[in-house]
Amino acid sequence: MSIVMKKSVPILLVFITSLIFLAEYFVFPELKDVVTLLQNWGIILTAFTLGFGAVNMFMFHGKQVSLRAKGQWPYSLWLLMILVLFTLVGVIMGATSTSYSWLYNSSYFALSATVYSSLGFYMTSGIYRALRAKNAESALLLIVGVIVLARNAPALAAQFPILVSMDSWLSSVPTTSAQRGIMIGAALGAIALGLRTMIGRETGFLGRLTEGEKGG
Amino acid sequence: MTAKPKTIWDRLEDIPREILYGLLLICVIVPMLFPIGFPVPISAEVQRWYDTIEALPAGSVVMVDFGYSGGGEPELAPFAVATYAHLFRKTGIKVVTMCTSSEGPLLWERAMVELNIARFGKEYGKDYINIGYIAGTETAMAAVGKSISATTSTDYKGTPLSQYSIMKGVDNAKDFALLIEYTTGGDQSEGWVRQWYTSYKTPYLCCVLAMMVPTMLPYQKAGQIVSVVSGAQAGQVELLVKVPGRGVKSADVITVTHLLCIALVAVGNIAYFGKKFSGGKS
Amino acid sequence: MDLASVAQIWLAALFTIWIYSIAFRDNPFFKFAEHTFVGAAAGHSLVYGVDNILRYGWAPLTAGNMLYAVVFILGILMYMRFHQTYYWVSRVPLSVIVGIGIGLTLRSTVTSEFIAQIISTAQMKVLGLDAWTAFSNLLFITITLATVYFFIFTFPKVHGGRLSLISTIAKYGMMAAFGYSFANTVLSRFNMIFGRIDFLMNTWLVLPYAMLALPVVLILVIYAMIPAEKRPWPKPKN
Repeated sequence: MSIVMKKSVPILLVFITSLIFLAEYFVFPELKDVVTLLQNWGIILTAFTLGFGAVNMFMFHGKQVSLRAKGQWPYSLWLLMILVLFTLVGVIMGATSTSYSWLYNSSYFALSATVYSSLGFYMTSGIYRALRAKNAESALLLIVGVIVLARNAPALAAQFPILVSMDSWLSSVPTTSAQRGIMIGAALGAIALGLRTMIGRETGFLGRLTEGEKGG
Repeated sequence: MTAKPKTIWDRLEDIPREILYGLLLICVIVPMLFPIGFPVPISAEVQRWYDTIEALPAGSVVMVDFGYSGGGEPELAPFAVATYAHLFRKTGIKVVTMCTSSEGPLLWERAMVELNIARFGKEYGKDYINIGYIAGTETAMAAVGKSISATTSTDYKGTPLSQYSIMKGVDNAKDFALLIEYTTGGDQSEGWVRQWYTSYKTPYLCCVLAMMVPTMLPYQKAGQIVSVVSGAQAGQVELLVKVPGRGVKSADVITVTHLLCIALVAVGNIAYFGKKFSGGKS
Repeated sequence: MDLASVAQIWLAALFTIWIYSIAFRDNPFFKFAEHTFVGAAAGHSLVYGVDNILRYGWAPLTAGNMLYAVVFILGILMYMRFHQTYYWVSRVPLSVIVGIGIGLTLRSTVTSEFIAQIISTAQMKVLGLDAWTAFSNLLFITITLATVYFFIFTFPKVHGGRLSLISTIAKYGMMAAFGYSFANTVLSRFNMIFGRIDFLMNTWLVLPYAMLALPVVLILVIYAMIPAEKRPWPKPKN
């Protein structure tokens, strides 16, 4: 298949699709029905991508099991069993059925919540080891961090109202202004990246390129 | 060559992590076993959140997005439950929920159980509904903002929306008086600003993880979001709505653990400067 | 409480303890819980992917809208990405998703994250106010401009000499913002830890035999943390 087919057609598709959305928003509201159809297609196509994780799991962990990778293959087998169990129960009984809900609440929910929270332990170690006033910049980070830590403790905030005022100033002046500067910079970057992707100058979304495709 | 003996500064600078984690666990468990009942002051953002909902006239329809994952449930669910209680206490408010997180429908069910919805006398399909998880984040937001009926024809369990009276006359973003978001993802919290506020000027209340609040502050400053709050402030809204729950319970633990953090920062810096000024290298 | 609910709470509690054990040492119980998590996550995504395809794709197709057959074909073609030779076929449906994403974000990013932010900054007054508010507003505008300058102009010449003051102001502004973010991150994580410990103490440990089981579970986990070669049982296979 020629490079035109493999590379240029996808880039052209990106251009046309994004142009339809921009045209509908700024110039031609008559394209509303086309945009609605494309949005619904976008939802369905995104739904198809939700299966990628499962396919990758099967490819990687299936290999671990077939090769009997030392110390790993029983865990890989268990992972695949859980994946299949979730899928079968969810698809056959229903994604909001009592059975699936039980499965979700007894395992995935508890695991997810605990994994997120376990980072708190590492943060404690990080606070102790890394939050040191080694220079002016880290001292500023430390001072602001300690003030906000104190304000976030409800009892300290109630006992020392000055902490609330200081936190309010810190959040509304340096934090918001710096975040706004970062946001404007990021927005310009996103606009530039979007435009470059539309005109085919950015081809990252195409994935791996052959030598011939890289040239053109 | 013999190793140099460890000074007090060396020991203070290198407390084993097991001790740190043990101290943290003690600071979490002890206040739970022996509650102190620390006060919970109400912040300006949470007061604004409460006042915005309080000002909703009867007949208003509110869109709620359950966009958080299981990881964010301990922080965001108490705030969501208290806000639902507030909405349901008001007369004539209808609540349409959608989920931009795949765990949203199941987490919504958990929240409804915790809310004990029966005590409010509200009926599913008449006063509140869940139209389910819609993949695509901003694509879903844009699609629903344009037309719910063109996007989905069923609720989260697959029952046709036409069977529910709540959806009569409710089809796009213009039909909603308020948008409320609970999320662990920046894509969702910022996406609603781009897809709903920018296009339809829908008033937007945003509840995110505490760590995400700074990134949302510029939107609040520009007036695009009415109030940005963190789930960690759930205790405040529970007190305002008078439904004390997990949020209020956490106040003691948060205070003690934060005092531990401040103490650890102090110890670390004392050790660092002590070692520096006594001629040692860090 | 029915048996299903009790079993659910027990499983959730065990998984919670096993995941927390990684904070101290890696061990087989953590690995087991970790692999359960990854498998469940992949399975859950697949379940809701299928649910969405059926609700938003299959339903309109079976209702007579044959145009949706195109999106089904495109969706299936996306899985060609796993093929050694025909991976490029998956670029077509991916292009549609990327095009939709670019279209949606470009048309509102300019307004929401660029123009609105600039207007908000430009509307800040520095005259006719009390000294502290005027100073705060001036500082706000200065840090915003300095941060934008810092990120947009990346070649070294514009950060040298007297112009380095702008970068310094931006860096200090960002340090303050990161300090604020860091403290809020601590709050977030500790809140989550409270949530899980609250579940263990007030939902699991109130169940019959849970208090007896807790020390047994902890001893087993601690035992599993002993390196395999030092453990009396089970012996590692050579």
